[in-house]
Amino acid sequence: MKRSKFPLFVTAGILVFFYLPIVIVIAQSFNASRFGGAWKGFTLHWYSRLFADRNIWHAITNTLIIAASSTAVSIVLGTLAAFALYRYRTKLQIGHNMLIYLPLVIPDILMGISLLLFFVSLSMGLGLFTIFLAHVTFSISYVAMVVLGRFQDFDYSILEAALDLGASWLTAVRRILIPFLMPGIAAGGLLAFTLSMDDFVITFFVSGPDSTTLPLYIYSMMRHGSPSVINALSVIMIALTFIIIFISKKLLEVRK
Amino acid sequence: MKKTMLYAVLCAFLAGSVSMCGKSKKELHIYNWADYMNPGVIEKFEKENNCTVVMNYFDSNEALYAKLKAGAQGYDILFPSSYMSKIMYEQKMLSEIDRSKLKNLKNVDTEFISRGLDPSMKYSVPYMVSYCGIAYNKKKVKNFTPSWSMYERTDLKGRMTLLNDMREVIGAALKFNGCKYNTTDDMELQKAGETVIKWKRNIAKFDVDEAKRGLSSGEFYLIQAYNGDALQLMEENEDIGFALPLEGTSISQDDFVIPVNARNPELAYRFIDFMLEPVNSKENMDFVYYLSPNKEAQKLMESDFMTNPAINPPKNVLLKCDFLIDLGENNIKYSDLWDKIKSAK
Repeated sequence: MKRSKFPLFVTAGILVFFYLPIVIVIAQSFNASRFGGAWKGFTLHWYSRLFADRNIWHAITNTLIIAASSTAVSIVLGTLAAFALYRYRTKLQIGHNMLIYLPLVIPDILMGISLLLFFVSLSMGLGLFTIFLAHVTFSISYVAMVVLGRFQDFDYSILEAALDLGASWLTAVRRILIPFLMPGIAAGGLLAFTLSMDDFVITFFVSGPDSTTLPLYIYSMMRHGSPSVINALSVIMIALTFIIIFISKKLLEVRK
Repeated sequence: MKKTMLYAVLCAFLAGSVSMCGKSKKELHIYNWADYMNPGVIEKFEKENNCTVVMNYFDSNEALYAKLKAGAQGYDILFPSSYMSKIMYEQKMLSEIDRSKLKNLKNVDTEFISRGLDPSMKYSVPYMVSYCGIAYNKKKVKNFTPSWSMYERTDLKGRMTLLNDMREVIGAALKFNGCKYNTTDDMELQKAGETVIKWKRNIAKFDVDEAKRGLSSGEFYLIQAYNGDALQLMEENEDIGFALPLEGTSISQDDFVIPVNARNPELAYRFIDFMLEPVNSKENMDFVYYLSPNKEAQKLMESDFMTNPAINPPKNVLLKCDFLIDLGENNIKYSDLWDKIKSAK
């Protein structure tokens, strides 16, 4: 019997759909035309502009500081929340579950405005710290949901067995619980990191003087700036992502 | 280990905020559009005044308004478009300009400003102006006349675009019919709607970004565009020209304004005054390629800058142009008409 070609077409279609835009961005970053229309010749101009622009680098630094710190904190809090949701089924936890779920469905603009009003009423100065708090607020939910999914396959008696056999609570958590949850934590962390990296709406409202992040800068460039510089930046980010994935794969292979 | 990480992060933040307070240099916080001011001029200001200028960016007037209205603080100078400055002033969000602190205010072209929304510079100082007009391909469009009537030409059918902006498109039709940009008269609006629907049969689409790309690559021959965008297109492609329609069009202007809760108004005044100095204003014009209504600085500009119709339109056309005003409740008249236009066949 001949195999159907249909899955092949679907796969090819999806790959094109995913990767063609990236290929276009890469090509356009070398296009001398600043509108990305017709090909006007090869240039590295946008890359030199990118490296010369201190505002962009300042924005990138801010973005990375916030993404890294909010991810670290939301991993801890999110995992703890997931543990509580998994282990205890009281009425309070039903409420807790709802509270954790809510930020996933609240529209960004609502969250941004309400956080801003909240910070203002506490007369907190807006800045990197308020952005950090806001990002932790929505990241916790994502981490908790992903880790909770991982918990569904967890047999709590393993942990109890370890405790029975004389392991301390800390050892049991470190040697059993965390390794088991690691894929969930890592996935949640990556999710939180990307969400924080590209969040615009919430960040816009809670940002203050001197806390411009990359998305804010890019949106603002739409009016007078050159999108081509952003293409160049995207290419560098794509390249970095691929390198990191490549290295981590290599490392995992060695371990096996 | 996780806990230590948490503490480490918190400590880092605390340390960061403490060190920020410890800075001895004064800071001036500016809320601006990206790439809208010459970085060289800003550095010069920093050196002369021994301070740090911190730039922050917003992406639309409405977002700026929403954020400040909700109570965000800490900005010393904002750059809204004049219709937004007016709203913000009326809602007591801006402080009035103290003229005694701006000795360079005399450089401002008062004749030009007198047609604007804040003719006496009570709460705003003009920074740059821009216009909406027609960009076209000189080789493909035969017998070009600078007029909105170009949209009636059937030989360009399918090769023209209008902006995807109700105020600009209906405004163009209003001007074509000899009315004002900000009219709220139902009859005039209805007639303008009919005009746009007639144009719609001739154009390819209502669009902003695709239209620019299309004009650059030769897909479109004539588009409605802002002068800043047109200039960028002209820089790349010699065949592209730009004109303001003789019937008139819209002007918009971005202002310097000082919010009521500015932390450092003295330095803000010094910054505005510094930017009004002819040399600095010239350097900004050279950088952003817009016209600043600054008489003295305009004298310093090279002649091809001042004679470029996309930068400095002829006086007789300018007199027929209107500043866009936010119409408040009457905006609904425009959006209803826009819906009708969009759904018309």
